This record gives sequence, C-alpha cells and structure tokens, in this order.
Amino acid sequence: MLDVRELGTLQLDALREVANIGSGHAATALSQLTGRRIWVDAPQIRVVPVEDVGMLTGRADEIVACVVMQVLGDLAGRTIQVFPEHTASRLAGILLRKGDVPFPDGFGELEKSALKEAGNILGSAYLNALSDFLGMMLLTSVPGLAIDQAGAALTSGSIMDASHGDHLICIDTIFKMDEEQQALKGHFLLVPDPDSLEVILRAIRLA
Amino acid sequence: MTTRTLHVRPGAVEVAGSDTTLSTLGLGSCVAVAIHEPERGIGALCHALLPEPIPGHRDGPTGRFASHAVPALVEKLEAAGAMRSRLRAWIIGGATMFPMLVGSQESIGTRNVRAARAALEALGIPVVAEDVGGSYGRSVYFAVGDGTIEVRSVHQRKVIT
Repeated sequence: MLDVRELGTLQLDALREVANIGSGHAATALSQLTGRRIWVDAPQIRVVPVEDVGMLTGRADEIVACVVMQVLGDLAGRTIQVFPEHTASRLAGILLRKGDVPFPDGFGELEKSALKEAGNILGSAYLNALSDFLGMMLLTSVPGLAIDQAGAALTSGSIMDASHGDHLICIDTIFKMDEEQQALKGHFLLVPDPDSLEVILRAIRLA
Repeated sequence: MTTRTLHVRPGAVEVAGSDTTLSTLGLGSCVAVAIHEPERGIGALCHALLPEPIPGHRDGPTGRFASHAVPALVEKLEAAGAMRSRLRAWIIGGATMFPMLVGSQESIGTRNVRAARAALEALGIPVVAEDVGGSYGRSVYFAVGDGTIEVRSVHQRKVIT
C-alpha cells in the first residue's frame, strides 16, 4: 500500500491541481445555488495521523454541520464537507428563502435536507470535474449529514471501514461566501483511500 | 474538588489522581473507556478509534485500538498503585454517525464497543454503566475525585452512574 507520507513535491502539486479543478466546479455550483459570489482558497494537502482527523477544522467539540458522501467506482474514498455554525445557518436560510436558521436547534428535517442537498450538489460537481479530468467513472453514495461535534463527525466519516493506513491524506479546500461584513467559510475535504491515491497518481502519470 | 482538567486526545491513554477531571472530546464511532479505583482515588481514560489491528498491518500506537488501550489503562492504573479487584469501568461512545452510509456491515462504532467489552471482561473488570450507540457524538468528563462521569452531546448533558 502506498504510504501517503512518501509523496513527492511533484505529486503533491499535481494532487493540488486535481483538487483545483474539482473545487472550481463546486464553487460555480454553489454560486449558482445561492446567488452569491464564492471564493475558493488554493487547496491544501494535509497528511494527518488518523488520531488528528477530528481536529482538522478546529476544536473537536465545536458543533458543525458535516455532509459525507462515499466515492465509488474507479476510486474509493469519501468527500467530507464541514460547515461551521454561521455558514450552516446562512446556507440553510438562503436555500429555503428565509432568514438565518438558528444553529443547531432550528434544524428540523427540512433544514437538514436543504444542507444535504447543497452537499450533494457540491460533491457531485467536484467529482464530475475529477471524473472528466482523470477519465474515470466516479459515483457517489447518498449524502449523510451529521450536525454534531466536529471530532465525532470527521473521525467517523473518515474511518468508516477501518481499511486505511496510519495516515490519511486530506485534500482540503476552503470556500468562502462573502456576506456583508463576514466571510462565511466551509471546508471541502476529499479523502481518497490509499489504494485510490495511487490510482489518481497513475491516471496523471505520476505514480 | 477538582483543580485541573487533563485532556485525553484520540489514541491516548491517561491516568490521573483525585484532583483531576479527565476529559475527551468528540467521540463518534470512537470508544472511550473510563476506569476508576475509588479507594486510591485514581482513574484512567482512553479514546480508541478502532476495535483491533488489522492482521498483517503494523500495530500503530497502543491507544488507537480498544483491544490494546484497555489493557494499557489497567497496566497504568496498577503501576500507580491500583488494585485490580477494586477497578470499575464505564464505556462511552461507539455511535454510528452516518447510518445511511454503513450499509449491511457492522459499523465501526458497534465493533469498538464490543472490543472494549471483551477487553474488560478478559481482565475481570465489571462495567458499571454504558452510554453507547445511537448516531450522535459525545464528550466525556470524568471527575476522578468522586468517580462521576458526565457525558455531553449536542442536545443533552447527563451523568451516568
């Protein structure tokens, strides 16, 4: 199995470029969905011990909304989207054409479903772009949503099948939605299984 | 009369005395095992991510696996003067955070709880209470002084006894 800690600069750059293509499409989709301008930071590749995954986006007990989709087909892995309190609150409000939704207590079935759908659209846009670029067939599972402690959602979302190595590779893109005075941010993580990472690198001839 | 809080990171195994609250945050499918030795006023807490090592893989840090973390807790307690026969345990966590994505196989959370129970049973340590399963995250605050375990989740806070 490929050890993710042994990736070279060229390979990391290439993965960043792959993530750029995915997140560009996802940003466009999010922008169309919300009618807002969306900024995307340059993707960061982080190689973290499985123990630290729960703290990737901040405190492990911060309450966040987390949408997880399994990636199936020619690649295996998952996408994990993390929306902190204010982002989840505003995003659900925009999608349901109402004011900010109190977080987490205002999130009933409808609000949860709106976030799940946003996650679904973002994740599919990202993966469609990857699929075109890599010439692969990529499918996604239905989205799962947890409004919960970040550590609980991120760790469980990442190690659902226990078949990974010591370290996970997380390709993290931060999205920002510009609202009056505050920038609302969210994380889009692509977490390929180690075997699939090799498949990606082979597809771009860098394995 | 707790004076300090010791945070137990995922994969860690910590022992402390009666002036300490041992805490661990954001347990989803992970499992925490708390063990108390009331007479000596010492306690220990772990936060394990997985049930046991996959055969053929490297083991990884002791505290990562419930099967290894529980014996490590007991070893540390005994080194600090605890008597095995006085130990009592609690099991917390082992949720299935994304039930829709698990499919037909048994979730990691369920397997983690089973591994923790088996490890405690093998060591002859009784389980006082469990707060496990469901599909929500938990944070644990174990006041070693009086042996109370508080479990906090998004919608509730409770003391399990």
